[in-house]
Amino acid sequence: MTQILERRVGLRIENARKTYGDRVALEGLSLEVEPGEVFGLLGPNGAGKTTTVHLAVGLLEPDSGSIAIGELGTPAEPPVRRLIGVAPQALSLYEELSAEENLSFFASIHGLGGAELKENVDWALEFVGLGDRRKDRVGTFSGGMKRRLNLAIAIVHRPSLLLLDEPTVGVDPQSRNAIFESIESLRDEGKTIVYTTHYMEEAQRLCERVGILDRGKLLALDTVDNLIRSHGGSSLLIVETEKGEMRRETDDPLEELKGLEKEHSLNRFRVETPTLESVFLKLTGRALRD
Amino acid sequence: MNPLIALTAKDLKLLLRDKAGFFFTFFFPVLMAVFFGSIFSGQSGPASAMKIFLVDEDGTSEAREFAEKLSQAPELDVLDASRQEAVEGVRRGRRVAYILFPAGFGEASPFAGKAPTVQLGVDPSRSAEKGMLAGLLNKYAAERLSATLADPAKMQTSVDKSKSEIESAPIPDEPKNTLLAFLEQLSKLSEISGSPQAQEMGFGGFVPVQIEEAPVQIERVGPRNPYEISFPQGIIWAILGCSASFAISLVIERTRGTLVRLQMSPLGRGSILAGKALACFLTSCLLAVFLMLLGWVVFKVSFDSVPKLALAIVSVSICFVGLMMFLSVLAPTEQSAGIGWAVLLVMAMLGGGMIPLFIMPGWMQQVSHVSPVKWSILALEGAIWRGFSYQELLLPCVILVAVGAGTFLLGVRAFRWLDA
Repeated sequence: MTQILERRVGLRIENARKTYGDRVALEGLSLEVEPGEVFGLLGPNGAGKTTTVHLAVGLLEPDSGSIAIGELGTPAEPPVRRLIGVAPQALSLYEELSAEENLSFFASIHGLGGAELKENVDWALEFVGLGDRRKDRVGTFSGGMKRRLNLAIAIVHRPSLLLLDEPTVGVDPQSRNAIFESIESLRDEGKTIVYTTHYMEEAQRLCERVGILDRGKLLALDTVDNLIRSHGGSSLLIVETEKGEMRRETDDPLEELKGLEKEHSLNRFRVETPTLESVFLKLTGRALRD
Repeated sequence: MNPLIALTAKDLKLLLRDKAGFFFTFFFPVLMAVFFGSIFSGQSGPASAMKIFLVDEDGTSEAREFAEKLSQAPELDVLDASRQEAVEGVRRGRRVAYILFPAGFGEASPFAGKAPTVQLGVDPSRSAEKGMLAGLLNKYAAERLSATLADPAKMQTSVDKSKSEIESAPIPDEPKNTLLAFLEQLSKLSEISGSPQAQEMGFGGFVPVQIEEAPVQIERVGPRNPYEISFPQGIIWAILGCSASFAISLVIERTRGTLVRLQMSPLGRGSILAGKALACFLTSCLLAVFLMLLGWVVFKVSFDSVPKLALAIVSVSICFVGLMMFLSVLAPTEQSAGIGWAVLLVMAMLGGGMIPLFIMPGWMQQVSHVSPVKWSILALEGAIWRGFSYQELLLPCVILVAVGAGTFLLGVRAFRWLDA
């Protein structure tokens, strides 16, 4: 069991299409996540992120196209699914059970037992910083603690591929930071991670490559730096002169600053460089989503 | 741990953690069985003793002896009182009636043509009680007379007393002489009745009837006690509660997202539902066994055969596991969970889960055939007190298993998995 789970696997989605009635949730989505990579899937609400996660874990079947976990094939097969850990966007916990009981149960249904189960449960609890609350009922936990336990359940069977669907929704900065540190630690262990979010700074901090999804279509896919370079636009130079504040969009802020210095007396200046958020807004637009 | 066992253990743990669910599943049926059993035991159990006043205005040894006899009668609860207390007590309804021995009761002798008189004070509208008391007085008076006839010394005293009364009585010679001759012969018979010669001659004395007890096991046609009716009903209520709880738990799994998480695990959908069904089945069986043990140990609820009872319990549990699955589809949200309970309540109402079927009018007994509760009670009662053979038990059991299998399949087919 441990040998299988220690296998490093990637995820390949080829031309996947998924509809719910008349509504198209995914339209020809293709992407490949390399083994050991942390891949960010960004998109506004309703973009198709959760559908992608559900396809990747075999919970849904694509109408067309294919999903494969490494060389092992479709995630609909139980042995393949054992390699996957999922932290769903909605907290999916038994509130009447303790943290330890939740973990033991989910480890059991992934086929773990005996000493291995106990060892993994202990590890997962410590990993998310809930070791001292292991015997407490989940119903008594704060939102942040529940999120951490949600993550612990995803990793308790030590999967090779982790699908984290907006794992920091609604948590305080401390829990959020703890979750980031946990994910960074898993990345360092070589786990393959697909991380969906609409928080740009999370993707920028954690992900090597990012795919931007909107209305079921993949709009861009590259490293964060490349995306900013190709889609981020110009930097913004903001200068305070004796006449007031001046704002200039420029690809070369230093040259622009030198030019302004000749004409004005400069009191203060700052440069705003493009971020992933500007890339996101540029690609997905500023219209509000449901 | 086997994933199926893990799923089952998780559901059992969740049931135990839910205090309200635990109460309604485990304790409510016990309360109900005991409560209704106690009520029925007051109505159809052994009749309680009739409360009467006893007034002795005679004060003779005969009157005291008869009063003692009545006081020891199991049918009567006797309280000594004066005439005034007795009349007032009956008038105010404190006791059903009074029995009064007037002066002269002990002096009267049936051999002298004067039967002792007893006054019975009872409201004329209470004809049943009046008839019963008259019967009891005749019964115990006859016993008293039998005792006199069977005892030579007593018999002689009574004959002597009667002879002197007759001799001094102003009655015509012919009946007087006939009575005196009869008493003379009676006296002679009484003298020899206790002697060894009489035994040799085969004369056993004046015993009106010699009773020989011949034990015959009567064929039982009803429950041995009211708890044998109320406990099967209690078991049904426990299983209804269990079925409803598991149906709701399945709905909660969906609404709280744990069902999606289970679907994301290596378990198949079949295993997920099988785990829930197994937990429901085991809980139902456990509840039935727990209630039967309680009924057996504390309330003398016995059963004809363990295998028959096991067959009935398993069939009932299978039926309600199927219904649980069906109800979880019928009421797909926590808000609509009441629909499931409503369906179960109608089934209980029609099927004799609330009021025993034999109390219901004929047409309702016909309608009850559509309710699985009726077949469940029939199967359980068949194994507990109806004395069903395996052949007789087969019909309700087959119906229950068929209903269980059918509703389970319908439920599985209609079950809404991932909220898409």
